[in-house]
Amino acid sequence: MNTAVSQQSGGDADVLLELDGIGISFGGLRAVDDLSFKIRRGEIVGLIGPNGAGKTTVFNMITGVYRPTDGHIRWHGRDITGLAPHRIAEAGIRRTFQTIRLFQDMTVLENVIAGQHLRMRQSWWQGLLNTPAQRREERELVERAMTVLRQLDLADVAQEIATSLPYGAQRRVEMARTLVAEPELIILDEPAAGLNEQESAGLNDTIRAIRDAGVTVILVEHDMSVVMNVTDNIVVINFGKKIAEGKPAEIRSNPLVIEAYLGQDDDEDDPLMNAVQDQVNA
Amino acid sequence: MDFILQQFINGVTVGGIYALIALGYTMVYGVLKLINFAHGDLCILGAFIGLTTLTSGVFGGLSTPVLLILAFLIAMIAVAVAGTLLDQFAYKPLRKAPRLSAVVSALGASMLIQNGIMLIWSPNVQVFPNNLLPNINWEIGGAHISFVQLLIIVGAFVLMAALYFFVHHTRVGTAIRATAIDQDAARLMGVNVNRVIAMVFIIGPVLGAVGGLFIGLYYRQTYFTMGWSYGLSAFIAAIIGGIGNIPGAMLGGLVLGLFNAFAAGYVSSSWQDAITFALLIAILLVRPTGLLGERVAEKV
Amino acid sequence: MDKHMNQASPATPSGTARALRLAGPALWILGLLIPQLLSPAWITIGGIFAIYAIVALSQDIVLGRAGMYDMGHAVFFGIGAYTCAILSLSFNWPVLWTIPVAIVLAAALGAILSAPIVKLRGDYLLVVTIGFNAIFVLAMQNNLFGLTGGADGLFGVSGPTFFGHMFGTQSDLFYLNWVVLAVVLWLMGNLDRSSLGRTFRYIKHDELAATTLGVNARNYKVAAFALAAGFAGLAGTLFAMQLSAVSPGSFRFTDSVVLFAIVLVGGQASVPGVLLGTAMMFVVPQIFTEFAQYRYLAFGVAMILVMILRPQGIWPARKGVI
Repeated sequence: MNTAVSQQSGGDADVLLELDGIGISFGGLRAVDDLSFKIRRGEIVGLIGPNGAGKTTVFNMITGVYRPTDGHIRWHGRDITGLAPHRIAEAGIRRTFQTIRLFQDMTVLENVIAGQHLRMRQSWWQGLLNTPAQRREERELVERAMTVLRQLDLADVAQEIATSLPYGAQRRVEMARTLVAEPELIILDEPAAGLNEQESAGLNDTIRAIRDAGVTVILVEHDMSVVMNVTDNIVVINFGKKIAEGKPAEIRSNPLVIEAYLGQDDDEDDPLMNAVQDQVNA
Repeated sequence: MDFILQQFINGVTVGGIYALIALGYTMVYGVLKLINFAHGDLCILGAFIGLTTLTSGVFGGLSTPVLLILAFLIAMIAVAVAGTLLDQFAYKPLRKAPRLSAVVSALGASMLIQNGIMLIWSPNVQVFPNNLLPNINWEIGGAHISFVQLLIIVGAFVLMAALYFFVHHTRVGTAIRATAIDQDAARLMGVNVNRVIAMVFIIGPVLGAVGGLFIGLYYRQTYFTMGWSYGLSAFIAAIIGGIGNIPGAMLGGLVLGLFNAFAAGYVSSSWQDAITFALLIAILLVRPTGLLGERVAEKV
Repeated sequence: MDKHMNQASPATPSGTARALRLAGPALWILGLLIPQLLSPAWITIGGIFAIYAIVALSQDIVLGRAGMYDMGHAVFFGIGAYTCAILSLSFNWPVLWTIPVAIVLAAALGAILSAPIVKLRGDYLLVVTIGFNAIFVLAMQNNLFGLTGGADGLFGVSGPTFFGHMFGTQSDLFYLNWVVLAVVLWLMGNLDRSSLGRTFRYIKHDELAATTLGVNARNYKVAAFALAAGFAGLAGTLFAMQLSAVSPGSFRFTDSVVLFAIVLVGGQASVPGVLLGTAMMFVVPQIFTEFAQYRYLAFGVAMILVMILRPQGIWPARKGVI
């Protein structure tokens, strides 16, 4: 699915994705500035920061929705800065959306099959003429989609209209759609948004299972019960700049990070705030 | 040189008419993001109503200038009413519907009005009396300008200046501009969006009615499909200038009028419209949002 | 979290669906009896209906399935018709051979014309398609290269000769049109179930999400235009044969508007909806011939009412195809 792998020399042999000094401006607003970090194969990396810090913008730059004005993004050492979204998908990077972008008026099964678009070999005329080869491929697509749906406990709603499902189920459908493509890197944009405690715990298990299956994960999340428990490495950004990077335990007690969150209007339910308070009060 | 000047005069005349009609398209689009396909037909309705006023004999006792003014007033009022009814019945119910629904409704309204005109008046060409305006021509530098041309140029510019002043220096005008930029924000600032929309469906048609009646007086004829053809040209003018942009519509109208006039001098008239479309396509390919066009940012 | 409260809705009731799926072929078979049972006027009406149904279905590919505002679609219809007429009249080609050429030429033009414009936003794309349509009509009216016959067009196109049999009578042409319609309906059904058809729908519903799944949206949009244009071109040849003539007046903006409206009023991406819309526009007026002059008026009113009262179209597409 992805093209020739060219590896960087030295200890970075494992680096899948590298952001090297990327930045972007919207009109007069510098949304992201001189951001650099690396993601290694098999990691689960969290990208956190206060609201408006630029996290989704970073994802949009990686996936080709926006073109960075500065810096480079490298995938297996290859420069993919500014490539169109479909090329990024070809390279093996898939994503989910903060707002859930499932195809309306289409079933769960159809939505998940969409994730296999690049795998399809049938040409347009084979589709028009309904050839045996085309029908065979369709069956394979359905089977593979059903396999993933079973793994995510969605098999019995396969024929339901995707957007009629409860929120948590819709998130799983979107995830199924990304997983069915067997990507190397999956980007999750606030996967826990709208989930209750139980569902969030289930999400943690799902994310770990994804990683165990060989997929590298990067996620943006506000729910600290997810971020602190499931990630290997965390990058913290504020006002578009990186302010800290490290393991969850380090980040939790990093004064710069605490200040960034404290500097916001207080949110009594912010788990990081609570974590901070707990530490302070301990 | 006289040729260029003559074409310039012709071009500004027709350009003024295009601009008056284009303003209706652009104002509705600015506020509702809807292409009012029925607008051209409303404008030519103005021509028909004006013609009927002028020839009906009911006002036989009046002197010609007064009769003309009356014709304009009646046309403006009637078309303003028609425009308001159009919005109430064909567009307002679809405010929250997907864009395509409103497009189809607009097309349906256009068919309705156009064929309504055909059925009420006649499918044949309607001729304007030729004694309405003084048959005076002035010579300027080798070219000549007729009374009607001067009337149209002056009339169009006066109205455009009035509109510009209205939109930029009155509270209602500012409310219209605010609504065009961001309807929700305007509402939050206390703007009565429904009243703004109602105003737009009065101002646009009023200007358009004047434009339509100008067409009738200039060419001394009108027929029921003229709304579509002039409407399309004016619509192209609005797009060239950047749809939703009021100065853009004025500019676009003049650009198109001049372009047509000069092209007519060099290209046979049967190819003229093709050149107009080619111009439009060329402009859109280079500047996808028109000359003065809007920049739309989409948040992902 | 209202969504937790909703029952997940099933994709389609299967009993009704099966019944409807049988009704289609049954109606088609019934249609074959028209030349036996009905008057010559109705044979012509049936033939015209089949032709316009094909064009309307092709409009649906671009508008209803791929989601692009094409309001100049009559241009491809016209290209097919004129190709057939010009090749058979001016170059003495056998009419049968003009058909594949017309299809390919229309499809090629569909690709060429759409390639630079598919990036435009909806309303602007709409205007440009109107422009292409208008330029085509003007070119035909101006007797381009001396071949297109000017405002009166070209006369004398005959039916094709197939295995020695010359399709000359209205009945012959009706059967030809009716069979081609069946083929087109079969192809459209396959399109719905194929990855190509699905990809069009991805693009229509959420182009951005589709691109993140690897869909090259631009290529598919051009493909939609090319495919649709090919079908329209095919219908164009049938039209030329049916009328024995082509003229610019049959391929104007008004005709494109009617096609556009048929798709939206009948039901986007819905084959029965589009067929119903075509019947409303082309068959129903024939029943009420005294009211012929009110035809466009009535259609205009119908368009407004349907959009307000039933925005999904009279016969919306079935949700969930697999």
